[in-house]
Order: sequence, then structure tokens, then C-alpha cells
Amino acid sequence: MSTTLSRHRRWSLLALAIAVTAVLMFPIYWMIMTSIVPSERLLVSEPPLLPPADAASLDAYASVLRDVPVLEWMWNSTVTTLGAAIISTVVSTLGGYSLSRFRSKGQQAMGFTLLFSRMLPGTLLIIPIFVLFANLGMVNNLWSVTLVNTAATVPFTTWLMKGFVDAVPREIEQAAMIDGCGRAGALWRVVVPLLKPGIAATFTYASILTWGDFLFARTLMGNPDGWTVTVGIASFIGEFSVDWSGLMAVGLISMVPMIILFLLLEPFLTKGMASGAVKG
Amino acid sequence: MTTPPQHPQRRGLRKSAGRGASTAPETPAELRREHRRRNLFAYLTLSPTLAVVGLLMAYPLYVAIDLSLRGGQISDLLNLEQNPLTLDNYGDILTDPGLVNDIVRSMVYTLGVVLPAFALGLGLALLLNRAFPGRRIIRPLVLLPWAVPGVVVAAAFSWMLDASYGVVNYLLRTVGIIDENVAWLVDSNTAMFAVILPTIWKYYPFFILVLLAQLQSVPNELYEAARVDGASPLRQFTHVTWPAIRTASSLAIVITGIGVFREFDFIFPLTGGGPNDATQTLAIRIYNEAFQFFEMGTAAALGIVTMAICGALLKAAGRSVRREFG
Repeated sequence: MSTTLSRHRRWSLLALAIAVTAVLMFPIYWMIMTSIVPSERLLVSEPPLLPPADAASLDAYASVLRDVPVLEWMWNSTVTTLGAAIISTVVSTLGGYSLSRFRSKGQQAMGFTLLFSRMLPGTLLIIPIFVLFANLGMVNNLWSVTLVNTAATVPFTTWLMKGFVDAVPREIEQAAMIDGCGRAGALWRVVVPLLKPGIAATFTYASILTWGDFLFARTLMGNPDGWTVTVGIASFIGEFSVDWSGLMAVGLISMVPMIILFLLLEPFLTKGMASGAVKG
Repeated sequence: MTTPPQHPQRRGLRKSAGRGASTAPETPAELRREHRRRNLFAYLTLSPTLAVVGLLMAYPLYVAIDLSLRGGQISDLLNLEQNPLTLDNYGDILTDPGLVNDIVRSMVYTLGVVLPAFALGLGLALLLNRAFPGRRIIRPLVLLPWAVPGVVVAAAFSWMLDASYGVVNYLLRTVGIIDENVAWLVDSNTAMFAVILPTIWKYYPFFILVLLAQLQSVPNELYEAARVDGASPLRQFTHVTWPAIRTASSLAIVITGIGVFREFDFIFPLTGGGPNDATQTLAIRIYNEAFQFFEMGTAAALGIVTMAICGALLKAAGRSVRREFG
């Protein structure tokens, strides 16, 4: 289409895109703005829309890092997110392969179960899960949050992976098997290397979901030592007098790891959606 | 998205995979052994998924159903046999006029999020499908909200919508749309709108991801042919673009709808279901019944009802959507 579009048309599309993006990015802009302007300049009826040069500072970040255990929250989030994303990626690579390559009754039942599990409200599941972990002595243990988030992501990521495996021609593994590879060998040496974009997409998806999890972490980690960053942030909201600069600073800090991951792996995500992953 | 033409091909491949593989077995005994090994591998690779879903979804679901059928004061959730089996929990919630309100609020919230998010996602996907300078920078930017934790989105909007110092009030006053500050999250007339807004912001990028992938698969020749035939941009959309993205759109709407119907991360930190229950959806009510009032039986029964509603919506969404999962 680009060849038929006039120059004028293209620049007007850009103008439109910039206008829309500016509106959509305003919440992030306002978070940054709030975090670098001291409260007394913000808590007025007509706050400045641009950061005033004389007042902008990183004090909010310094004081939040000093007064609030942000780094501990970040660490707890990192541990659970890495754990859930890795387990989820391994499980769904195997599961997606099975669903794609073998279509027996078990696989069909599993496909339906995965869809069905999407309908379970998290707030319902968390009740028995809480009791289960309480009895196993695993409440206030980050493993419980890791496992529940794995379970929450696997139904989607398995379908995501199935779409990627579908796109790998069977002839490739068959050739490998004729050359003397077992089924597992063919999967590991031939299919998995071709699934790198799928693995990237799955890992990103599971990470973003677990990093953002609030319900499970809030319910299972009652002890503030084990709070993840989302639970910590939610504890700010609704306080009698909220430290908005500090809250926005913590919010922005918490976004950094996922934004880096997202920017690195975003091209794979678009491909993943193309090859069949709305389901789940 | 599995496109229909793949199916016959897949069937053919399956047959050859069953026969072929390693060293082309010839005797019936070898064939059987090969078949058994194939089945074993099929289930071996599926077993981790089965374990995760079974332990952390099926078993809790079983406990939740059991819980919803128990009466009396529940003291020990692992020994529910002590409590008598009863349908009282369902009787109570189904005769409670509040339930209808919760369902209506859940529907309002779901539609209020999904329809604008879809419209926004579709518009942006159409825009990003055109070639213009800077597209590579714009695309990750508009997708970014998807990577932001829901609670952070809630925090940002609770500040922007603040009754006294919120920038939204300031901007609306400046433009002249409102005369006085609105207490968006505290006024029961505006609270639902105030929790819908951040949820839209978090969910629209998913539609872009899905729709952009579909749009990129539409051959340019189709548009050129339509233009040669003198089709207006609107007719090009209804006759070329929409048929190509219709299935993906309905699927994405249903999946997102189910997700939003159960959404917790925005409403709970922003309003907790208040003011005066104005934002109490089913998901929020379940949580409050369970962890605020410790009415586990009621909460579980509400959860089962929520699930049934999701199931009914899914069924209403039609065969084509369900077939995608088969």
C-alpha cells in the first residue's frame, strides 16, 4: 500500500498516530510528571502540566527507596515471576506439542479443559487454594504464589505454544526420526530450536501475567515480608493521605522490568498472535 | 488462529505420521509397538499440563463445588463431611435480589470495557497496518499498557481521577465540560465509569496484537482489486477487511469478555466494590464474602453461578468460536 499512498497522506497518518498516542500515553506521562514534582506543587487546584524546571527532582525516588521496602518487593516479584514463567514455558512447550501432534481423546478433552479453566473466576479458585496451602504450611511462601500463577498461565500459554508447533512442518521431525532420533530427541533437537519465537512469546506472556498478579499474591502472602510489588503498591492506594509522588515512583520502578522484556520480545508476540493464540 | 484449509492437510499428515516415523515397521507386532510408543509419548508430553491443571484447577474446583453445597458454620475446610449437604447456599443467593444487581453490574462493567477496548484496538490496528514514518516507534508505545500491572494502572488512575487534585478534573474544568470537581471514585453515579476507564486502558492493546496479526495476512491485491472496482474506503472495510478479521475479532472479544467478567485487579484496589456497592461485580462480591465476611459457602456458590454465566455466554457466542478450541 505504501507505494500508492501519497506523501501527504502518509504524514497525515503520522499526525493522527501521534495525536492518538499522546492521549493514550498520558497516564504514563502523568505518572512520570507526578514522580518528579514535589507534592506541594501538585496538590493545588491547577497543577502544572509540564514539569517546572526549578522544582523537578528525583527526591520521591530516593525517599521511597529509603522508607519503603521496594527492593524487597521487587525481589519477591522477580523470584515468583521467573519461577512461574520458566515452569509455565516448559510445561506448555510439552503440552502444546502434544496437543498439536496427537489428536486422541485425551488431547481433545484437555483442549476443552483448558478452555473451561478460563471460565473459573480467580476469586473462586483462591478460596480452596488458600485452604490447601494453609494446610500444607505453604502460606507466606513464595512457592505458593509461583505455583498458582503457573496454573493460571498454563491454559493460555499451552494454546499459544500449540499454534507455534502447528507451524513447524511434521516432515522435519519425521526426517530426524528416520535419521535415528527418538521422538524425544526429535522434539528436543529439531522442534524446540524452531520454537524459539514461541518460547519467547510464552515466556513474555507468563512473565507479564505473573508480575501483574495481585489477587493470588495478596491472598497467599499475608506477611509484609513476602509482599510482591503489586501488593505493596495496592497497600498505598486508599490510605488516608496518599503520597502520590512516592506511589507513582514505585509504580514506575515496578514497570521497568516488564517494559524491557516487552520491548525485547514484542516482535515475537505479534507473530504468536498470527499463528494462533487468541484462544485460551 | 487455525485457518480452515489447514484441517484436511493435517488429517493427511496424521495418517502418515502414524505409519511412517523411525524405521518404517513392517510386521503387525512392530506396528502395534510403534503405536503404543507413540501413545505413550503423546501422554508423557501432556502429563505436566495435566498435573498443573489437575492439582491447581480441577481439585480446587471440586472443593469449591463441595463447599457450595455445605451448610452450617464451616470450621474446617479440609473436613467438609462434618457439614450437612444442602442447597441452602444456592437458595439464599438465588432468592437474594442483590444477585441480579451484581450480575447487571458485572455485565455493565464487561461490556463497558470490551466494546470501547475493541473499537480502540481495531482503530489502532487499522492505523498501524498502514505504512507511515515512525510506525515502528508508535507500535510498541500503544501496546505498552498491556505490560503494566493492573494494580499500577489502578494507582495511576486513582491519582488522575482524584476528587480534589486529579488532573482529569483540572483538564475538564479548563475545557469547560464540568464546572466543579467530580469525585469520580467516591460518587456512586460515576464510580463504575471510573473503574471501567483504567480497565479499557489495560485491555485495548490485546485487541491490537490480535487484529494486527490478522490484518497483515490480508493480501494487498484484494484492496487493489477493490479500488479498481471503485469501492469506497468504507466498502473496502466492510467487504475486504472485516471478513478477514471477523473470526479473530469475535474470538478475541469472547476471550477478553470472560477475562473482564472475572476481573479483580482494578475494582478491588480502587473502590473495593463501593461506594454503596456501585462497583460490586460478582468477582468482587465473591472475594468479599470469602475474605471479609468468611461466608465460604456463599462465596463458593456465587463462584459456581459466575462460572455458569460465563459458560452460558460462551455457548451463546456460537459454534465457530468453540470450534477453535476443539
